[in-house]
Amino acid sequence: MEPNSVAADSSRSAPAVTPNYDDGIVKMFFTATVIWGIVGMLVGVIIALQLAWWPANLNLPWTSFGRLRPLHTNAVIFAFAGNVCFTGIYHSMQRLLKTRMFNDTLSRIHFWGWQLIIVSAAVSLPMGLTQGKEYAELIWPIDVAVTLIWVAFAINFFGTIAIRKVQHLYVAIWFYMSFVLTIAVLHIVNSLAIPATLLRSYPIYAGLTDGLVQWWYGHNAVGFFLTTPFLGLMYYYLPRAAERPVFSYRLSIIHFWALVFLYIWAGPHHLLYSALPDWAQTLGMVFSVILIAPSWGGMLNGLLTLKGAWDRVRTDPILKMMVVAVSFYGMSTFEGPMMSIRAVNGLAHYTNWVIGHVHSGALGWVGMMSFGMLYWLAPRLFNRPLAYPKWVSHHFWLATIGIVIYTVAMWAAGLMEGLQWRAINDAGQLVNPIFLDITARLQPFMLLRLLGGGMYLVGAIMMGINFWQTVNGPERPEEADALPQAA
Amino acid sequence: MSKQHEPRVLGHADEADGIEEYDNPLPDWWLGLFWLTIIWGGFYAVHYHFWGNRSQEGEFIAEMQAADERWPEQAQAAIQFAMSDAAVTSGEAVYQQNCFPCHGVNLEGGIGPAFDDDEWIHGGTADDVLRIIREGVLTKGMVAWEGILSPEQINDVTAYIVARNMDATGRTLDSYLASSGMDAEPAEADTVTVAPASDSQGSQSEPED
Ligand code: HEM
Ligand code: HEM
Repeated sequence: MEPNSVAADSSRSAPAVTPNYDDGIVKMFFTATVIWGIVGMLVGVIIALQLAWWPANLNLPWTSFGRLRPLHTNAVIFAFAGNVCFTGIYHSMQRLLKTRMFNDTLSRIHFWGWQLIIVSAAVSLPMGLTQGKEYAELIWPIDVAVTLIWVAFAINFFGTIAIRKVQHLYVAIWFYMSFVLTIAVLHIVNSLAIPATLLRSYPIYAGLTDGLVQWWYGHNAVGFFLTTPFLGLMYYYLPRAAERPVFSYRLSIIHFWALVFLYIWAGPHHLLYSALPDWAQTLGMVFSVILIAPSWGGMLNGLLTLKGAWDRVRTDPILKMMVVAVSFYGMSTFEGPMMSIRAVNGLAHYTNWVIGHVHSGALGWVGMMSFGMLYWLAPRLFNRPLAYPKWVSHHFWLATIGIVIYTVAMWAAGLMEGLQWRAINDAGQLVNPIFLDITARLQPFMLLRLLGGGMYLVGAIMMGINFWQTVNGPERPEEADALPQAA
Repeated sequence: MSKQHEPRVLGHADEADGIEEYDNPLPDWWLGLFWLTIIWGGFYAVHYHFWGNRSQEGEFIAEMQAADERWPEQAQAAIQFAMSDAAVTSGEAVYQQNCFPCHGVNLEGGIGPAFDDDEWIHGGTADDVLRIIREGVLTKGMVAWEGILSPEQINDVTAYIVARNMDATGRTLDSYLASSGMDAEPAEADTVTVAPASDSQGSQSEPED
């Protein structure tokens, strides 16, 4: 239709034949995203407070750190990040494939099933019902539900690809496919267990095998829940927002295949210096280091796509969010491989450095990419301009400064405790023999993290208010002109 | 959009919701980095497992040997219990810094057992106390202090506990030294435990507050 116009708004020049997209389901996932995002981050701030000031545990089992921590991780990963992915996938895939979703009922089953799973997680985890495997804590009946809902999603997803009206599959769709397929395999294999009662079960793996399967899962939860779908979102929303062509098609192919191939092997970097055989540790370490370039391929394609739009980056907070997201992605995918090196991991493991690494990826990459996408999407989806456009910029700064405070505090804390644990004096004795002494010295960093995380949360709440007012606020006179072209 | 150096676009835009893709080659430095890490990875694996014949266990053994060489007396040092006023004074400082959280400021016990009575779960001679301090009772949460405290500090804190126990129970110093002759042989660990432990098994489970 428009051979030369580059990343132009296709819908403007595609008149009557605009397919009848299902935007209702996108709105549903959008709303769930914002709610769960705020809830998950609020729980993050609460556990950050508990680590800085223990009375916040309230001396109740249900509100103690040990139970709220998995609530935080499940809420931010599966509720927030999960719903972000579904929002973006349901919105972008219909447009990329020029077809409505394969089956609207499956879309609704997916939505309500997923939200129900989240609610049951939010009830069962504070009750102390857990399988004790990180990021796979949910008890077996919920695991079964996750499987069923995921299969419904997968049928709908691949069904939509089957009925697509285009030949070519855009790169974002490949990344989505790797997400849908790999998460299914990971979840099922890692969750295999023999139920004993309705609430308890025993994993079919024992000892080291269980550990290895768990971290094969755990690492690829990072890889295929927090990385590949978000790269897919980046490949759609970044060029749309920047209105620029993607830097290199070839780079996108090479880094996609390299990434999905290499990620699967890197899990043992979570088990360095453990009972895992040396050769398996080497495998995990080497594959992690080789992951730098494939990861940076994504960052490069993002940043170089913005080349030529830098003047807009300076003024458009949505593009700024995306730039920060992609930069933090590049940063944390350099840090991760470094932490996979045996000697470095010997220092970093068990320290807050890992927490810093996690949140530079989670707050920087996942969070900022999500915010950028949501702000770009909101006016197009709800057909009204943002209620408080200036707040987007405030949110950007709050979040960016918050991330920097959070991660710098955790790096400092991690290095400090790592070095103090191992310090030995001239007489061959531990310089800091009392573990608790070192723990107590972390408090200033815990307070700083609370500050940084608090700023991040305030930004997210401002976003929520902004969207609420955008959808439900009174009509504003300038509205008609401010609306972006429909997406 | 007609810039001078604009590379070729692939022309898929109508199949990608208007998103164009350039036909740019892979950046050289990116490809170089990729190859470099791959080659390094192969080299590292071969070096670690074959040429260097390294292993996690080997690393541990080497580290322990280096420590033994650097601090030879410590590796062997069997502590001979020595009681003196100076030892009790310095032992008090060690106790009030490290031991009181579990055993109480006045040795009255708490998380761990008390030292102001006649009950000794693991034997009531000075050597028994020394040994427990050195080796810990890991299953019950008692720290192995060897390596954390110096041999002198372990001796001194033992002297402090013995002195306070004498005050509380009226035992004589000799009674703490009694079994010392018994474990002249190096493997002292088991010999001492068996005898005195049997009568106090009952109190082992829960030292009351
Ligand atoms: C307001 C923002 C947030 C705050 C204040 C926060 C705070 C925390 C705290 C205090 C912990 C426990 C650290 C520890 O055990 O030492 C934690 C763990 C974690 N958080 Fe967050 N968090 C926030 C946002 C997020 C987001 C958005 C994500 C993911 C998208 C995330 C993912 C995680 C993960 C995966 C862990 C577990 C890390 C590990 O086990 O190594 N967090 N967070
Ligand atoms: C090439 C990319 C990456 C590599 C090689 C890598 C490597 C590592 C390593 C070595 C650890 C520490 C394991 C330990 O000592 O316990 C770790 C932890 C972690 N990383 Fe990464 N990382 C990468 C990218 C990312 C990204 C982009 C994110 C988030 C979006 C992320 C999230 C996490 C999380 C959540 C943990 C904590 C796991 C736990 O609960 O212990 N990583 N990663």
